[in-house]
Amino acid sequence: MPVAGPNIAGEPDALPGLTGHDRISARREKRFATALLAPAFLALIATTTFPLLFLIWISTQRMDLAMPFMDGFAGVDNYRQLLADPRFWRSLVLSLVYTVSTVVLQVVIGLALALLLMKMKRGQTLFRIIAILPVVLSPAIVGMVWRSFMLTPEFGVIDYLAISAGLGSQNWLGDPTMAMISVIVIHTWQWTPFAFMVLLASLAALPDEIYEAARIDRAGAWQRFIRITLPLLRPAIVMVIIMRTMVALTAFAAIYVVTAGGPGTATEILNLYAYRKSFTELSLGYGSALAVALLIVTLLISAVLFLMRRERAA
Amino acid sequence: MTARGHVKVEKVAKLHGQVAALKGVDFDIRPGEFFALLGPSGSGKSTTLRLLAGLDKPTRGRILFDGKDVTALDAQHRDVAMVFQSYALYPHMTVRQNIAFPLEMAKTPKTEMAERVEDAARKVSIQHLLDRRPGQLSGGQQQRCALARAIVRRSGLFLLDEPLSNLDAKLRLETRAELKKLQRSLGVTAVYVTHDQEEALTLADRMAVFMEGEIRQIGSPAEVFARPNSIDIAGFIGSPPMNLMKARLDNGTPVLAGRPLPLRVKQQAGEIVVGVRPSAITIGEEGMPARVDLVENLGDNAIFDLSFDGGLVRARGPDPLAFAEGQQVAISFDAKDIHLFDAASGHRLEAA
Repeated sequence: MPVAGPNIAGEPDALPGLTGHDRISARREKRFATALLAPAFLALIATTTFPLLFLIWISTQRMDLAMPFMDGFAGVDNYRQLLADPRFWRSLVLSLVYTVSTVVLQVVIGLALALLLMKMKRGQTLFRIIAILPVVLSPAIVGMVWRSFMLTPEFGVIDYLAISAGLGSQNWLGDPTMAMISVIVIHTWQWTPFAFMVLLASLAALPDEIYEAARIDRAGAWQRFIRITLPLLRPAIVMVIIMRTMVALTAFAAIYVVTAGGPGTATEILNLYAYRKSFTELSLGYGSALAVALLIVTLLISAVLFLMRRERAA
Repeated sequence: MTARGHVKVEKVAKLHGQVAALKGVDFDIRPGEFFALLGPSGSGKSTTLRLLAGLDKPTRGRILFDGKDVTALDAQHRDVAMVFQSYALYPHMTVRQNIAFPLEMAKTPKTEMAERVEDAARKVSIQHLLDRRPGQLSGGQQQRCALARAIVRRSGLFLLDEPLSNLDAKLRLETRAELKKLQRSLGVTAVYVTHDQEEALTLADRMAVFMEGEIRQIGSPAEVFARPNSIDIAGFIGSPPMNLMKARLDNGTPVLAGRPLPLRVKQQAGEIVVGVRPSAITIGEEGMPARVDLVENLGDNAIFDLSFDGGLVRARGPDPLAFAEGQQVAISFDAKDIHLFDAASGHRLEAA
């Protein structure tokens, strides 16, 4: 049999299934592809899968750096303790409050800005450049800026505005409720431009004629928004919600810099609690269990969001 | 319903910055009339339709529907139906929801709405597609859906913006005939924008020919075809267009290529243009000598390109095989088929 040359490689197969040549070359190709993928795959396992499994392993240990003589296998003790820990439940609630409020605010404000910008005749580019700035900053820097320049009593910008408005100086980060509101505002401030950019791109892609047809069909501005814009933007909105939810659930840097979870545990979201437990209180085993709990919560929520997305699409 | 749908446009102009898209047009559309706005692209016909729809506001002038000034009213409050060139269907709604949308916006009761949607869908034969989405329809079906969305309104005025231009040739001919029947049976006033003169000639009761932001001629297709009022219109209407040949007046008689033509005009002297439709040229033994340059065989007839002393002419003949390329023939035409235009102004000259 002649060796399969490139001249017959592209010919359509008369018979269903693969001929001898094709099977051999397909097997070779598969082997080659595996060889090419292997380094990246190994690196991925070493840097993500292994640490994850190691974390789960630690979460079944009793591992207190302050009391190393007590260390040992604990089974599900850490998890049993976790379910009975009011501080865990509180941090979980704070995580959910933080996530829901920041994501809702980002989508609502981002969409409003995008709609406004579509109406602007001039200065669109300038507005986009200004809007994107917070996103490119490190969350830790953003936290620093807000803590020192914006919220500091007496000379922070926000505090100055509050005083000027007759509200008086507020202890923005010292009061439990105010501190929570502050960290929500900071996260929203930094990440709304992301939602804004994504929604703006989707809005710009909607054809003008559909809106003209809706005007002819006697739909008012509000009806056009509810019946045309929102449904057509739904895929983009759901995508933004999914992406921002995952980030908000695992937010850390900005809150850590601004309040470090305080005052007390007023802004201690689950992520911060796991960090504090592990590295401040040095209970690595219990801290790991908290981290696994956060992982499970994140997986559950994203699974629900993805299911919602698929259902809507169908 | 035929009593509704009277449209009056008075001195309407539209400027985009310094550019005049429409330089001031006047026309009247009678109730129940099929009125075509015909012209090449950029002539202002689509601008006019958008002004009628209320999607844009005129810079000057007034628009009246049934005697009521609607110039300042937005599209939303004008109660007109429109079919867009791109159909502009709502992609996230089913065909049923698309057709029902204008009724929903008008807060029509549910039971009446369902009935009217079914009825409109039946009129354009898409009742079996009501639960599909526009993305699942062919171009022709989308077009029908857009039509159904327009007729479900029972509005007195129907605006159509090149509705057939996205269909393939065969479907276009079928839909054209259906459109005309539909408009007749509904008894609505229709304003139809097209750049295709054949569409305008076949569909319209009357038409306005647009050029460079102005209306050059208004009349029934037969009138415009039979008596084009300028060289531009003569060269635009008809396929192939009218032959236009340079000539001069000698004592009131047009002289073409040294031969006097058998008619007279009031004007005594000057440069003129003689126009003759290709179908009015007779090829035979008598007349001006000419040579057949090219034969375009169209099957049941043919276009002959002929050269003679006065230039080139095209003639339509019934038999593609009657004359061969290179053959010497003679051409002639009747006095009644001759159109005369002033070469300088382009206006039509009437025979005395």
